[in-house]
Amino acid sequence: MGPFNVQIGMTCTTLAEHLYSLYVNYEMAGCDLAEFHVQIAPARRLKKPFDPYARFLLDGRSLFPPFPAEQALAALEWGVNLAIAARINHLLLFHCAVVERNDHVVLFPAWPGSGKTTLCTALVHHGYRLFSDEFGLMDPHRGIFFPIPRLMPLKNESIHVIRDYLPEVRLGPEIRNTHKGTITHVPPPKESIVRSSETAKANWIVFPKWVSGASLRLDPLPGSEAFLLLASNSFNYEVLGETSFQAVAQLIKSCRCYKLTYSDFDEAIAAMNALTDDI
Amino acid sequence: MIYKPSADHRLLLNALINPASLVEYNTLKWELLLRLARKVKLLARLATELKNRGLLDQIPLRAANLLQSSLVQAKRLQQSTHWELNRISWALKDTDIPIITLKGVAYSLAGLPESIGRVYVDLDIMVPKERLSDVETILIQKGWMNHHKLSTYDDHYYRAWTHEIPPLVHPERETEVDIHHTISPPTSRLKINAKPLFEAAVTARNRGYKILCPADMVLHCAVNLFENNELADDLRDLLDIHDLLLFFSRNEQDFWKKLKERANELNLSRPLFYGLYFSRLIFRTPIPENLENDLDERPNAIARWFMRYLVPHALFPLHPDKHSRQALVARSLLYMRSHWIRMPVRLLIPHLAYKTCLSIFPGKAATSQMMK
Repeated sequence: MGPFNVQIGMTCTTLAEHLYSLYVNYEMAGCDLAEFHVQIAPARRLKKPFDPYARFLLDGRSLFPPFPAEQALAALEWGVNLAIAARINHLLLFHCAVVERNDHVVLFPAWPGSGKTTLCTALVHHGYRLFSDEFGLMDPHRGIFFPIPRLMPLKNESIHVIRDYLPEVRLGPEIRNTHKGTITHVPPPKESIVRSSETAKANWIVFPKWVSGASLRLDPLPGSEAFLLLASNSFNYEVLGETSFQAVAQLIKSCRCYKLTYSDFDEAIAAMNALTDDI
Repeated sequence: MIYKPSADHRLLLNALINPASLVEYNTLKWELLLRLARKVKLLARLATELKNRGLLDQIPLRAANLLQSSLVQAKRLQQSTHWELNRISWALKDTDIPIITLKGVAYSLAGLPESIGRVYVDLDIMVPKERLSDVETILIQKGWMNHHKLSTYDDHYYRAWTHEIPPLVHPERETEVDIHHTISPPTSRLKINAKPLFEAAVTARNRGYKILCPADMVLHCAVNLFENNELADDLRDLLDIHDLLLFFSRNEQDFWKKLKERANELNLSRPLFYGLYFSRLIFRTPIPENLENDLDERPNAIARWFMRYLVPHALFPLHPDKHSRQALVARSLLYMRSHWIRMPVRLLIPHLAYKTCLSIFPGKAATSQMMK
């Protein structure tokens, strides 16, 4: 997956089937080194001994409490995110969606009510290349972003929104009652996976907000504000210390920053197209 | 006696003893090595060794990236713990309470070159027992809080049966501060008088902080490893002993003589014996050959034979995919040993009974929540 190889162990056949169909476009790592070794293992709970539970293990260690076995796919995806966030510090990890158009990436930082995954899903089915719906992986010294196209988890109402807007898109199984509600995964478009070794620099930072019934607005955002929002939405800004301060300052200088308010996908995509055509 | 490590132990050991040879490792070896080293907190150590030799760009890129990541994190943790020490000494500056910095932060204050790649998460300090409650009161007044919400039982356990108070943390910084009053639990078979440790303490170069004198620093490390810990995955601590022995024997006059005399004086010759024995056995530390013979208390031949067999199995990490049964047995035996020597039976049995009960009925443990 992008710059990382993940070795996944499991005994559950349902999960294996789901992965087989959702991961079909990924390449096997072969004998290359794997950074992460994860496992979905069966678990028993004293309180409910007959309900099947499972655990997520990273190098044999459990990172969060056991979950009902039918949530294994969601837990696996989430667990791999957690593993990346906990161990990777040679890159600066922004919590944001990243898509590419015209050889440059747009960052959509996660902020409350952003619906970054939903917007990201819509964009990558309209000519944008998916880097990630979750991680902006930036080399802090060279300012380039690495694609890490992975399954995109849609939550609750977003599932219906995407079903209505993109009826042709294949979705994974619906997983109910997770700690984030109902989740369904969208696999990345094949092209995004095939081209996942092609890095790019950022040119735009857009803070999106979906507001029911709102008319489209794309307002410039002062760099200072964008800096704070971006830095506070990073997984390891503090760990990298001065390096990340310099890197974010440089990034903001080289990007145009906006605030996007929208209610209609067609309008939002048209606005993003206009923005990304103007390099 | 010659030590013959298993293949995966050899992989890790060779990396530590002879880092230059890592450029010959293939990706398969690297993958296993990285998993083993991470388990025993030695990733950043390998990273530093390679970086110092300018070899980081001669190994597989994925391995170099993970090593670089561990180094960034180690630096950050070092910065946080040193800053926490700065804040603690600020909070206590108007008192005359002597504060001695221990373990990782102390190694770095002492100038140990290997401390650059050492991961230390917590700040460990020691204050005289009679001033312990003053220190706790002042720090809590100035904003530190109990790190974990403790049950009455656990709070009592800390205060009555260990050599520290429940850890404190400042909510703005989240670095755990462990405050000790001596170097081994009062219930343990070692009867340690902490007073000489304070008297011999030295001031770290350029920093003004107090640390244990060189001999005491080694003794503390050995006591901690062989008397206080369960030894599982503690290879890093044995490597500390090796590093400290090399460093001080080069930089201190008559270090070996002082070390053995101090061990005898403080009744710590038994843990020192094990420290010297295993450091030499595993890391081939150049320790004068007959040094152990001058120690007052040495384990007998049977104890030595058992420890010789068990300890390496515990110190080295288990193979991540196939756990050796021998190693698991060795680890459980050493786990029992660690409890046996730390607590008399009249305390140990009720304690283990209570903990077993909690693990079966976790609902009752709501107040002693140690994990999220």
